[in-house]
Formats: sequence, C-alpha cells, structure tokens
Amino acid sequence: MTDAMTALSRGARALFLLGAAAFFGLPLLWLLLAPTRTADDLTTGSPLGFGSLGRVGDAWAHLMSYNDGEITLWIGNSVVYAAASVALALLLCVPAGYVLAKHDFAGRRTLLTLSIVTMILPPAALVLPLYLEMSAVNLAGTIWAVILPLSFYPFGVYLAFLHFQANLPDSLLDAARVDGASELRLFWSVALPLARPAIALIAFFGFVRCWTDFFLPFVMLSDDRTFTLQLGLMSLLQSTGAVNNSSGFADLDIHQPEAALAGLVACAPLMIGFVLAQRFLRTGLLAGAEKG
Amino acid sequence: MRTLTPTRPPAVETVSPAAPRRVKRRGRTVATWLLVGPYALFLAAFGLAPAGYALWTSFVHDGSFSGGRNWTAVFDDYRLGEAAGNVTTYLLLWLPVLLLTVLSLAFTLHARPGRATGALQLVYYLPGAVTGSAAALLWLFMVSPDSSPFGPLLRLMDVKTATDALSGGSLVAVLAVMGVAVHAGGWIVVLYGALTALPKDVLEAAQVDGASAWRTMWHVKLPMVRTYVAFVLISSFASGSQVFVEPTVLSTGAPGQISPTWSVNQLAYVYATQDGDFGKAAALSLTMLAVGLLAAWIVITRTRMYATDTR
Repeated sequence: MTDAMTALSRGARALFLLGAAAFFGLPLLWLLLAPTRTADDLTTGSPLGFGSLGRVGDAWAHLMSYNDGEITLWIGNSVVYAAASVALALLLCVPAGYVLAKHDFAGRRTLLTLSIVTMILPPAALVLPLYLEMSAVNLAGTIWAVILPLSFYPFGVYLAFLHFQANLPDSLLDAARVDGASELRLFWSVALPLARPAIALIAFFGFVRCWTDFFLPFVMLSDDRTFTLQLGLMSLLQSTGAVNNSSGFADLDIHQPEAALAGLVACAPLMIGFVLAQRFLRTGLLAGAEKG
Repeated sequence: MRTLTPTRPPAVETVSPAAPRRVKRRGRTVATWLLVGPYALFLAAFGLAPAGYALWTSFVHDGSFSGGRNWTAVFDDYRLGEAAGNVTTYLLLWLPVLLLTVLSLAFTLHARPGRATGALQLVYYLPGAVTGSAAALLWLFMVSPDSSPFGPLLRLMDVKTATDALSGGSLVAVLAVMGVAVHAGGWIVVLYGALTALPKDVLEAAQVDGASAWRTMWHVKLPMVRTYVAFVLISSFASGSQVFVEPTVLSTGAPGQISPTWSVNQLAYVYATQDGDFGKAAALSLTMLAVGLLAAWIVITRTRMYATDTR
C-alpha cells in the first residue's frame, strides 16, 4: 500500500518536473534547430525539423560578412566588460552583505533601504543621469562608463546579505572573537570560506546582467568598435531587417536563421556560466557537509 | 542549530582583559566601514546621485523649475490609464503563476535531489538566457500555431494565427506565459541554493519525526527560507510592474500589433526617447518606484526581513 503510494508520488514528481522541462526547453530546442534551416522552412516546415549542419556554417559566414567580422570584436568587448564589472561587483557586494547581515551599526537600515530603492528603480530612469555624470568626469564613451555603473549591484548585496543572515551563526563569530581574531580577520577566515554559494550566485547573476544589458552601453558608447555583443547584434539585425522584413537593406544575406544563430552565440556564455556556477554551488555544499 | 567547527583562526592579537571596551568597539566600527564603505561609495555615486538628479529633472521643464507641471502632465496622459490597466492585469496573472511555478519546482527538486537536478535547473533557466533580437524571433515563432512546437496547444485554445495570439485579451496571457518562462529559472536557482544551504540536522530531525514531505516543506523548509521568498516577491513585483522587455520584444517581431505604450515603463521610454521629455520620463519612473517601494515595505515589515537575529 505505502509502496504503491511512493511509486505513485515518484511518478507524479517525475511527470511534473519533465512537463516543466518541456515547457522551458522546447523554445530553446527550436532556437537550436533554427540555424540549420532556411527562412522558408522555418515558417512552412515542421516546427522542430532539422535542416543541415552546412547551413549553420553558411549562417555564420553571413554574420561574419558584416563589417569584416566585427562580431568577434564585440564578443571580446563583452567578455572584458563583463569580467571587469563582475570582479568589481564581487569585491563590493560580498563584504557589504556580510557587514549588513552580521554587524549592527548606525546606518545599517538606511543602507539596506537605499539598496532596495536603487535596486527597484527603473533602470531607464538612471541611465540619462549616469551619462551626464560620466560626461562630467570625461569618461563617457570609454569602457569605464559601462564597467563602473554595472559594478554597483544592490541585488548582489542582497544575495550576500540573505546568505550570511541565514547561514552564518553568530555563535561561530563570537567563538572566533573570544579567540582574539580581529573583525577583518573574521570576515576573511570565517565568513568568506562559508560564502561560496553566495559568491557563485552573485557572479552568475552579475555576469548575466552585464552580458545582456543593452540600455547602458547603448547610451554610453558611440563608436561601434567599442560595442558589446548585444549592442552590436541589435544594430546588425536592425540594419538588415532580419527579424521582420519591414525595413533594412537586403544586400547582406542576413535573415531569420542568422538571427537565431546570433542569439545562440549571445546566450552560449550564459549557459557556460550557469554550469560553472552550479559546480561552484555544489562544491560549497560538500565542504559544508564535511564540517557538519 | 549545531555549531560548525571551522578551522580555528590563529590568534593574531591577544585581547588583554584590561583592554577598555571602547577601543574594541571602535575597532569594530572601523572594520565595519572598511568592509561596507566601498559599496556605500558606489551606492552614492551610481545609485543615489543619478536618482537624485532624476528627481530634480522631474520638476524641471524647458530648463527652468516648473513645480509639479511634469507630474500633472503625466497623470493627465490618457495613455497612462490604459497602460496601468494592462500592467495590473499582467501582474495579477503573472505574479501568482510565477511564484507558484518557482516554489513548486524548487521544492519538488529539493525533495529528492538527484543527478538530474542540475540539468533540470539549466533547462528551466534557458528561456531567460535568450535576449534581444533572438528573443523577438523566438517568441514570435512560438506564438505562431503553424511553426510553433506548441502549435497543437495553441490550436486547442482557438488561436489560429500569430495575430490571434497577440490581439485582445490573449495578448496579456501570452505576455504572462512568456514572462514566467523568462523569469522563473533564475529564481528557482536562487531558492534551490537557499534550500541546499539549510542545516541538514533540522531537516533530518523532521524526517525522523515522521513528517511527510509535504509537511516538511510547509512547516520546516518554507519558514526557513521565508526571507528569500520575501526577496523574490519584492523583486518580482517591481520587475512585473515595470514590465518592458516582453511587450517590446513581441512588438519588434510583429510591428503595429502591440501599442508602443502598452506598459507604463514603455510609456516612460517613449517620453524619454521620442518626445525627448526627460522630466516626464523621470516623474513616471519615480511613480513606478513608489509603487514598488510600497510593496517592498509591506513585505519587509510582514517578514522581518531586516532582522539580524533570524535564528
């Protein structure tokens, strides 16, 4: 009787998880297949049909034909922008989150509240003032105009804050204090080793934010050689009218399969980042289990 | 909970029993600001300064102070009422479905972690990784019954063409489904991470007590991750009330079918880019902020999210 019940609940669980996987996974499967097909086949063929691998090569060659392969330059730019802002964001977020969770000091609530305020402020409201600010210090148009604002990451501070609040017991810190450890030492030797999961999450979401952000680089950068991949692809696909054929010049062979391939190129690093972050999350878990 | 035993930090400074308390406390204040100071500086430079400037612009018209003129102009705009109505419907549909999806999937995954857990999370996250033009292309094809893998489902709901899916009442449903697909995965990762970080002994104790998986979830796990749920709620309410990407993306794929001022945030964008009226854009953005803050305040006070002593 109970065996039958557990079998039933296991079946229901698997069905639920796999059903959700179909809902979330099918759109990406379609996108993965799209570059192998022709634009005509996308609209008339079967939804999940497979064309040929050769077409993927053609589609890539078409993308590379835009301004002598400027797309590779954009990928490089995006990597630099994202790596720098994520590194800086981690340096700022993790210590701040720790102090906000574990120290009681004048200004703590104010900082937490102002972080929420800036976190949920519509980004569009900040972009123009940020541009004026960057112009005032002669940084507009440089990579710093993108890196510095993106390394301010209140969402990351909250992830660190919630992590330390839930997982770092005061008794642990007090024990180290009795042993005579200084406050900075506490952060470095007690809090930081327990922060792996928070670091993985902040790095991942920070990376996603930098990699996909469109509006800030759009306003800050004017030279297309400094563009990020998102910004470059938008200008490429809009100028060629690949997504809808209402506008654009048609001398470049850039259509829907090319747009799909460009999208896959743009989201591949996010998937790699996801797998890396998960590995980091899991090792953090094992370390905790050994200690417990 | 059982205290963890970390590698014992070497005693770098010996505290003499005679050391006055005040010195110790000052040492802590210095350390506090060394750790949080750099962030506070960035908060001031890239958060508060631009926000303050936006507030000031909202009271300026044509270069001179104009009192509440921008604000009244915004609230008199007939498009705002329509947009606010759209966003309210969207929130009512999207937020409960999103929360239910995130909670049920994160808890179901955590009830019996296995080899596939990581892979499933990646799959749930995938739609959120597609952005920009590719997202426009993707979602336009997803709602076209003839070329979508969801075609049979769409036909079942009497959607015969993409135009059907993007007109009338079905538009907001399409946007909500799209919004869930895009946003759920990230939150599942956050919540699952929070669940795995929970102390094992408490969960084991619940199992020994013979609590069912359902009871463990409801009475043990959920209360322990309530600050995370509060955070999901605050962030999602704000991002939902400021919905921008989904309607913009769908309208680049199908121009002319979706109003460029469908959502409130899109209206603010139109003020800023088409009208060049940054005062009105700022006033509307700050209004959206106020709505988000009201929700945040309610959630924070209800869940004691700021407490330093949750344990």
